[in-house]
Parts: sequence; structure tokens; C-alpha cells
Amino acid sequence: MAGAVTGGRRLALACGALLAVGCARGDRVVVGAKNFTESDLLAELVAQQIERRTGLPVERRLHLGGTFVCHRAIIAGKIDVYVEYTGTAFTAILNHAPLADRDGVYRAVAAEYAERFGLTWGKPFGFDNTFAIVVRRRDAERYGLRRISDVAPVAPRWKAAFGYEFLERADGFAGLARAYGLRFAAPPTAMALGLTYRALADGKADLIAGNSTDGLIQALGLVALEDDRHYFPPYEAAPVARADLLGRHPQIARALDELAGKISEDAMRRLNALADVEHQDIAAIAREWIARSLP
Amino acid sequence: MSLFQFYAHNSREALTLIGQHLYLVAVSTGIALAVGVPGGVLLTRRPAWRGPVLGLANVLQTIPSLALFGFLIPLPFIGGIGARTAIVALVVYALLPIVRNTYTGIAGVDPAVREAGRGMGMTDGQLLAMVELPLAAGVILAGIRVATVVSVGTATIAGAIGAGGLGVYIFRGADMVNNTLILAGALPAALMALAADGLLGLAERKLAWRAR
Repeated sequence: MAGAVTGGRRLALACGALLAVGCARGDRVVVGAKNFTESDLLAELVAQQIERRTGLPVERRLHLGGTFVCHRAIIAGKIDVYVEYTGTAFTAILNHAPLADRDGVYRAVAAEYAERFGLTWGKPFGFDNTFAIVVRRRDAERYGLRRISDVAPVAPRWKAAFGYEFLERADGFAGLARAYGLRFAAPPTAMALGLTYRALADGKADLIAGNSTDGLIQALGLVALEDDRHYFPPYEAAPVARADLLGRHPQIARALDELAGKISEDAMRRLNALADVEHQDIAAIAREWIARSLP
Repeated sequence: MSLFQFYAHNSREALTLIGQHLYLVAVSTGIALAVGVPGGVLLTRRPAWRGPVLGLANVLQTIPSLALFGFLIPLPFIGGIGARTAIVALVVYALLPIVRNTYTGIAGVDPAVREAGRGMGMTDGQLLAMVELPLAAGVILAGIRVATVVSVGTATIAGAIGAGGLGVYIFRGADMVNNTLILAGALPAALMALAADGLLGLAERKLAWRAR
């Protein structure tokens, strides 16, 4: 028992020491990212934007881990800024049930983050990274498919393949089939998400659920259909920053605001494709995008 | 939810997946046997092929399963999504131990014994059936044992290509961050592997005893 107390005290001391180091690192801004390409890319964009607008030194801690790792890191002050998605924060961090109202979700997330964690949500970049119903471009043109509701008449002749998460989630396949009245030739095939793209491109499946900003969608000659009944909850990407940092350096908030609404879903898909399909360096991709889009 | 509760609620699905898993292992190991044992024998008759064939089997063994599926999906007859593609991949992975042990077992037969058989006027076929295969049976069976046990574990990847099996629970659990689900798939697969190892080990001992 005594050992546990000592252990706890030692832990508290260690945390205090770490905090002190955190403060002592001066006014270096640390930008973090989750462990996937899009998160790294957006973090790099944010880092370069802060560097060129504020002149503050920026340290990059990219590809850290999942949502919870980044969340814990920013609360502990190990990172100052990272890019989060409203829907993820709403359901995974704040444990609310999914909600379709995009402005409502953003407002709720921003308010709760400010109050509970001392974190500030910046303005959204202008795209959602949500589930996307994806078909071959050839089929979309032949059957005139633009929206998910256009699929219902052809679905009975089609085969669908989905990743496990989409088949299980509350906001996944079952609800989608209900919302759009989709009935396929057979129950959907459950397989690894990454392989569904290949299966679709090679004609072994006719409809899959991917990520709306995935670079593979364009690279493989596929199209994402519009969610015209707003079935999928909003997952708007926006920067999340420590409020104390923004208080000390208001110019950081102004720099981040410049990115608001600048990246469409299509543009994000293209940026992801440059990294994932053409294997270009993300710092170079970000530099070029900034030169082109934010003169 | 505990593992027992999970099985109680999903007994039919669990049994179906176990059945699919056994089917995948049985069919793929069967095909690997039908191809691998004659293949190994052939290598003892054509020593020049040994390097290239075992090398190829070695290389195939190292291809990660998801990458292999990626190659297989567009292929006609052996590709696509579903059980067939999974079986092709499992056969590819099971071939190496069977081919290599068949070759090693037969190559290890004492040349004097082989000479004695020839001296008695045996044809090559008779020599194989009556001398070489019986003497190599222990080593060949050891290869089959390895291939089967590995197959039981590897068959979980069938879940990645829409072929079902216990991998379904493992993939679903990994995607949903649900450890009970992962266990629900991994535990029966592990038990199956142990059972297969035990049974084939028993057969090996029987054979060794008979050989004595």
C-alpha cells in the first residue's frame, strides 16, 4: 500500500517535471498528427503556414498514433496543434451518439473542448473525411449515377463488398441500406477495407464504402457518390490548438484562419493521391499547395 | 461481454465460421498434398530443378497475405473474392514444407538400401512405392504436420477476402477495437491448431513405431 502511494507520488513528480520541461521549451510550436497520410499532410500544411506567418519555430511530431494518442498528447501539452475531425471528436472523444447536423456537431465540439480541455477548434478546412459510397466511373456514366439514391434501381443486380468496420458500425451499412432502400443481389461480402478498392477496380464487386478523401478513388478510376439524404454524420477536418498557446500568440489563430474553407473534398483527394499514389514528399506537396492557394 | 456470453448469443454464426475455417484448411491442405508430395518426388528424379523450385516456394512463402490477395483478385479462375482466392493463397503457403520434406525424406534414404532394391530387380516405381516412400514417410508426415498447423493459423486471413472463417471475428474485432471478438476468433483457431498438431503427432509416432 505504502509502495503504491510512493509510486503515485513519484508519478506526480515525473509529470510535474515533464510539464516544467514543456514550459521551458520556450515558444516552439509542436504540431502533431495521427498515423495516416491525410493527417500528416494537414499537419505539414499547418506547420508551414505557422512558420511563414508567425516566424515561430515549429516542431513536427507526425504519425503519432490514433485519435486517443493525439488527444492525450495535446491535453498533456506534448503537442500544441493537430488536425481532428468533428465527428470523431463528437463520438470517440466526447462519447455522444452520431448526429447528422453538421453545424450543431461543430458548435457542440468547439464548446465542450474549450470548457473541458482548454482546447480551441479552428475553422474547418472545407471538406469531410467520412464514409463514401464508391463505384466505378464507367458504371456511374453508363447508369447516370451521381447520388447514392440513384443506386437503388441497379442495386439488385449488383454485388457489394465492405470492410468490417462499415458492416458493424451504427452509422454503417444497415442504416445506409434502410435510408436509401438498397437491396443487393446477395448479402455484402465482408473483407479487408484496403482490398475492397482492388475488388471494385477489377470488377469483382460493384459498390464499396471507402473514405471520401482517399487518393485511390481517383487513381483507380472510381467515383464517390453524393450522400444526398445526409445519412453519414459530418466529419469536418479542422485544426485543434491549445488555448493557452493561442492566447500567447494570437497570430497563430490568424494564420490558421487563412486555411478555412480552402480545401475541398476533391482537392484533399488529389493531395492524398500525390502522397499515396505518386509517393511524393509531403513537405513538398504542402509547400506547393500553399504557394498555389495562399499567395 | 464475456467470451462465453458471446458464444452463447452467437452460437450459430460461430459454428458456421468454424465450419468454414475447417473447410478452408482441409481443402487447401488436400490440394497442397496432392501437388506437393509428387512435386517433392519429382525433385529427387530431376536434381537440377531442386534449386529453382524450392527457391520459388521459398519466395512465395514470404509474400504477405494481403499483397498476395492484391495480386490474385484480378486473375481469372484462381482469383476474385471469396473462398477460391483464399484457398489458392493457403495452398501457396502450405506447399513449401510438404515439397521440401518429401524431397529431404527421399533424398535421405540410405543409398545402399536403394541399391539393394535395384539389385532385386525393382523398377523405379516399385522402388519409390516399396522402399523410398515408406522409409521417408516419417519426414514427409512431419512436413504435412507443419503445413497443416500453419494453415489453421493462416486461414484466418481468409476473412480479408470475403471467404469467412474465424478470421471474420479477428478482423471485425480489430476494426471495432473489441478484444472479446478478437479472442472469439483466435481462441478456437488456436485450439484447432493444437488439435491438428496432436493428431498428426500421434500419427507420426504410430508410423515411427511401425517402422521399427
